[in-house]
Amino acid sequence: MSTIEQNAPRGRARRTRSLTLVGAALVVVGGLAAAGCTEKEVASDDGSVQVIEVALTDAGCEPSSLSATAGPTTFKVSNDDAGGVTEFEVLTADGGRVLGESENIGPGLDGSFSLTLKAGSYQTYCPGGSKEKGTLEVADGGSGLTGDPAAQAQAVSTYLAYVQQQADEGVSRTTQFADAVKAGDLAKAQSLFAWAREPYETIEPIAESFGDLDPRIDAREGDVPAADWTGFHRIEEALWVQQSTAGLAPLADQLVADMTTLARSIPSVQLEPSQIANGAVALLDEVSASKITGEEDRYSHTDLADFAANVAGAKAAFQAVEPLLAADEADLVSTIQQRFADLDTALAPYRVAGGPADGYVLYTDLTPAQTAALAGSVDALAEPLSRVAALVLQ
Amino acid sequence: MTDPGSDEHRDGISRRRLLAVAGAAAGGLVVGGLAGGAVGVASASGDDGSSTGTVAFHGEHQAGIATAAQDRLLFASYDVVTPRRADLEKMLREWTAAAERLTAGQPVGDPATSAALPPTDTGEAEGLHPARLTLTVGFGPTLFELEGTDRFGLAAQRPDALVDLPAFPGDALEADRSGGDLCIQACGDDPQVLFHAVRNLTRIGRGVVRLRWSQEGFGRTSSTTASQATPRNLLGFKDGTDNLRAGTAELDDSVWATADDGSAWMAGGSYMVTRRIRNLIEVWDRTSLAEQERVIGRVRATGAPLGSSSERDPIDLAAKDAAGLPLIDPDAHVAVANQDALGIHILRRGYNFTDGLDPRVGQLDAGLFFIAYQRDPRAQFIPMQQRLAASDLLNEYIKHVGSAVFAVPPGLQPGQWWGQGLMES
Repeated sequence: MSTIEQNAPRGRARRTRSLTLVGAALVVVGGLAAAGCTEKEVASDDGSVQVIEVALTDAGCEPSSLSATAGPTTFKVSNDDAGGVTEFEVLTADGGRVLGESENIGPGLDGSFSLTLKAGSYQTYCPGGSKEKGTLEVADGGSGLTGDPAAQAQAVSTYLAYVQQQADEGVSRTTQFADAVKAGDLAKAQSLFAWAREPYETIEPIAESFGDLDPRIDAREGDVPAADWTGFHRIEEALWVQQSTAGLAPLADQLVADMTTLARSIPSVQLEPSQIANGAVALLDEVSASKITGEEDRYSHTDLADFAANVAGAKAAFQAVEPLLAADEADLVSTIQQRFADLDTALAPYRVAGGPADGYVLYTDLTPAQTAALAGSVDALAEPLSRVAALVLQ
Repeated sequence: MTDPGSDEHRDGISRRRLLAVAGAAAGGLVVGGLAGGAVGVASASGDDGSSTGTVAFHGEHQAGIATAAQDRLLFASYDVVTPRRADLEKMLREWTAAAERLTAGQPVGDPATSAALPPTDTGEAEGLHPARLTLTVGFGPTLFELEGTDRFGLAAQRPDALVDLPAFPGDALEADRSGGDLCIQACGDDPQVLFHAVRNLTRIGRGVVRLRWSQEGFGRTSSTTASQATPRNLLGFKDGTDNLRAGTAELDDSVWATADDGSAWMAGGSYMVTRRIRNLIEVWDRTSLAEQERVIGRVRATGAPLGSSSERDPIDLAAKDAAGLPLIDPDAHVAVANQDALGIHILRRGYNFTDGLDPRVGQLDAGLFFIAYQRDPRAQFIPMQQRLAASDLLNEYIKHVGSAVFAVPPGLQPGQWWGQGLMES
């Protein structure tokens, strides 16, 4: 889904894929192609997927006014000779959120991306053109989505209930952690750190979809300008490197406030089942990209607690959408269930009573061979899981 | 690729038909399984170095052994991480199906899948020639028995010839460059085609196998057919002059196991030994030419044995110079490794390698990735290496840092899968 640009603000290092939201009436395409469709059939005008062709010109997007019908849509972007315009984006009507884009389309190149459009107005954007902004009007029509709407709604509500529960738990735990920090109790603050993070780590892709919230809560040193660095890892650095709680009270209060904002925002979240499945993979990609390298909790070395929480979140997401998978995907389901079990088995030796990382050993206690084995188990699970998003709507 | 000549097969070839036909016209190359017959070895493989064609996947023996040595290697050794035999069997079937397509120059899997799914094939070989790709599978001792455990109910099928190699004097083996439960030897003429093949097999194997170590190689260091010129190794010398040649009774006798050897499922198979032999490049480079030639026993420029004039002259260990001294030092590499003198023959199929710099010492990490095929390592590689390790003058300039041994099962007929003979015996 690399063509789907998420909503992280420009100019900030974007650490992971987050879920494309939501309040935005557009979703990442799930069941774009019916079973057996070839790529060519997808692009053909067979009624199941509409294709919108856009040319990049020095004037901007051509045409600058687009119209479409709600449903799965592929944007094919081409550039004959526009040297200064190489990108096409679809944004929410207010321009606040990028829903999909195709980048680096230089002269002579083309590209494409797919979205499932819902009725409404959107903005198009071809940066560098003399008229950069255009419009996209989407009329109501066949939804393009197939499957059982009631089952899909059930999957979404099951998952959102989990997300809300985790977000609320995150507020509660973060509050206790902040209290220890503000009380100057270094040992207690250290002991609560991994535990306080755990709920957040189970729903991180949702949190990341709220623009500024994730960097405020979870940026690592260097992800943001030093002056803007706040959240868990800023406090972690002080607790472990400075060995001090001095001056942390405002940071602790802001963390609680940001977690509270997150929890209050959950009811406004709208999701498609395919996004939930993508979120499960995104959580495992989090593990592959930063937990398994020990980069996440680089001062406290409590990465395994985050690791376990990411896996738990992925499992909850998969379980929510699993009823949507067709009976003929039973092999895939059993493979994924087996690999969740295998991953749990792989983590078990590092789960120790009273372990310093919320019941786990410190990351630094692992040998390179043990780290490699855990990484292998994560990849083994993520591979079949990456097929789920496309199958849940069929 | 089930029935040569079927529509499915012809469709498979057609994507690259123009290229393949061009190659055949230029080099007399026989394309893929269209060759017919069950030879499946060097005769179907562009002996003259044509680098665009395909090598038949099916045949009496696996391709990649007696096949004319291609220019590049990517060797992958895997650990099996699943405890379940059914998972292993399923993966071996999937690997076989993928290998059939890959060696025919086709992408793995069904290309007609949804755009919303991750692509089945990773795509980087699109538009490239098949590059004479061969994929050869092997089973290591630890597949049959690991630390005394019969992991998959296969211990009784372990061939007697699949021994754990003994420690040889001077060995400096590193565990993370040695051993493995399964291996894939990928050979071909384009490193990107090899990477693509190993990457996709590794991806298919996720959750069942995990890469243990891998080795890229270049500049084949052996010729395996009479028409191939002898290449040079990184010491600058011709290597592999004295090697078995495809199509000879000597190779058949020395390389292929038979049912009478003890394991019926290995009939038509072979045993592979790999050794990652690092050259102490910096030391060698400051050694005089005369000393280098004394160590090897050949003239660097021509490859001829010392005292002889041409590369293929017999090695005469009794020849003396005017002063009555032996022309070839009795401990020179060619003297100690002399296959005729030992009465032992192996099929060498090694490649030069470099992994860049060894950061511990700031020296080049480069050398020879030695691969040898044989009928029984107990009678072939092991006695040969014992003799080399004991007295080869070259030992001062090399170090064995990786080692592995694998049982390489026989070739497949359409519809069969890698390991079927083992699993069903």
